[in-house]
Amino acid sequence: MLPAQLGRAPRHLLVCERGHARHPRSRHAAHVRDHAYSCRVSFLIPECGLLPEVLKSTIADFGEYYLVRNLPIHELVAHEFIDAFVKKGSCYALAYKTKIDQDNTAALLPNGKLILSVDKDTYEELGLQGRPSRYSGKKVMRYIITVDLTDAGFHPESKKHNRVLWALKEKKPLEFDFLLAWYNTGAEGSTLMSYFSKNQIQALKPKITFSTLRDLQCPVLQSNDLQGKPEESCSTEELFEWLGAVLNQVSLDNKSSSFLSTYCCPEPNTVVEKAFLCTITGFIIPEKIIQLLEQLCCYFGEPKLAHWLTLTVHGFADSPVSWRESEHGFHKGGENLYNFVIFRNLDYWLHMAVGTHDDCPP
Amino acid sequence: MAAAAFERRVLQSAAEHHYLRVRLELPDGGARPNAAQFKQLVVTALRELHGEVGAALPVDVLTYEEKTLSAILRVISSGLVKLWSALTLLGFYQNRRCAFRVLQTSPFLLALSGNSRELVLD
Repeated sequence: MLPAQLGRAPRHLLVCERGHARHPRSRHAAHVRDHAYSCRVSFLIPECGLLPEVLKSTIADFGEYYLVRNLPIHELVAHEFIDAFVKKGSCYALAYKTKIDQDNTAALLPNGKLILSVDKDTYEELGLQGRPSRYSGKKVMRYIITVDLTDAGFHPESKKHNRVLWALKEKKPLEFDFLLAWYNTGAEGSTLMSYFSKNQIQALKPKITFSTLRDLQCPVLQSNDLQGKPEESCSTEELFEWLGAVLNQVSLDNKSSSFLSTYCCPEPNTVVEKAFLCTITGFIIPEKIIQLLEQLCCYFGEPKLAHWLTLTVHGFADSPVSWRESEHGFHKGGENLYNFVIFRNLDYWLHMAVGTHDDCPP
Repeated sequence: MAAAAFERRVLQSAAEHHYLRVRLELPDGGARPNAAQFKQLVVTALRELHGEVGAALPVDVLTYEEKTLSAILRVISSGLVKLWSALTLLGFYQNRRCAFRVLQTSPFLLALSGNSRELVLD
């Protein structure tokens, strides 16, 4: 007999919101903007065989990102870098292939905050002011250091700046492989590619895959009813699981008596002849996701057969933040993801899901 | 255009199911289980560790790929620890050594479709 507490699942949160995409106070775009690091974006459009040209070009222009190998972190604190990139647009950086539950890791947010998540030994060697990680338990083994690079007190001659530079350059040099992306409106400047030409830098394009799903069972949804009604429409949790099944290529037409699996598409449902699924994988910045979301809303500008479509965004499991600056940890899965369902009348549902080591999404 | 009323629901630890992505490791050569045999193996693992009551735990094999011996399993949340422990402690398939590797686990099936630890971005 297992102890009772082992029967309880680890804490996790699913936030479901409902609103209207054109409502003046709608915060759906803010939720996208606040979630800085995304590794995969997928959208599913039922009753769509061929993608409209506007969407095609939006996807084709999903931006470049860069991978810089062995970048010493003090280069991100250098004033040339801050003036050229951090202050002139949205600069995103995230340590690549580091595991937040065992390694040191770092991230630069578009608001100019540099976040270091380091183990106890590194923290003590660095000698920078930080705070214990919220998810490190009674005996603190992990610390979070936040440096605001755009702070007025962080000018090149300031003590603070010199201290940070000394700590990261001489006291305890840290280096990571960094994923970098930079978004700026208009103003021409030097590019990340030329700035980091001395380092090993690679320009990368997101990988895009398309597929058409045939005879897909889709749940029936009522935009004004998150909880669904038996015989009338499916609930938001049912849709969330169904979408997971579709993206994982789970067969939906099981008999409930099947030996292998009892999962079947929630009731009521309709069979759509074809559905279009597109998956974009890379280091994807929120600005591009907002553009795509906007284009997907415009999809319903012309009459369409589809009643709704979905847009799913997966966050990095090893990012030190999930939404805004709220701390994120791995625990068992590090999940932080969100999903939009856009209805024909531009009502939307938004799911935001996080695992154990996370705050409640905004 | 009537603006829809805003509504927010927070579901805390409310997931009915948990999902595991697993891979079975077998020595090279020899028979590979098909989907039904794979499910039977999972039930056997549960029976060995938790007895008949454990074997009655509803587990669904949502996907199974015979080539890579990888699968996605679904289990009710209260049975996660039972299933996980049973898989970990299973050592033999048809008198050959074997091991289950749990690659990813989540209360959200959707999370299993984008694991940043496995994505290759370079």
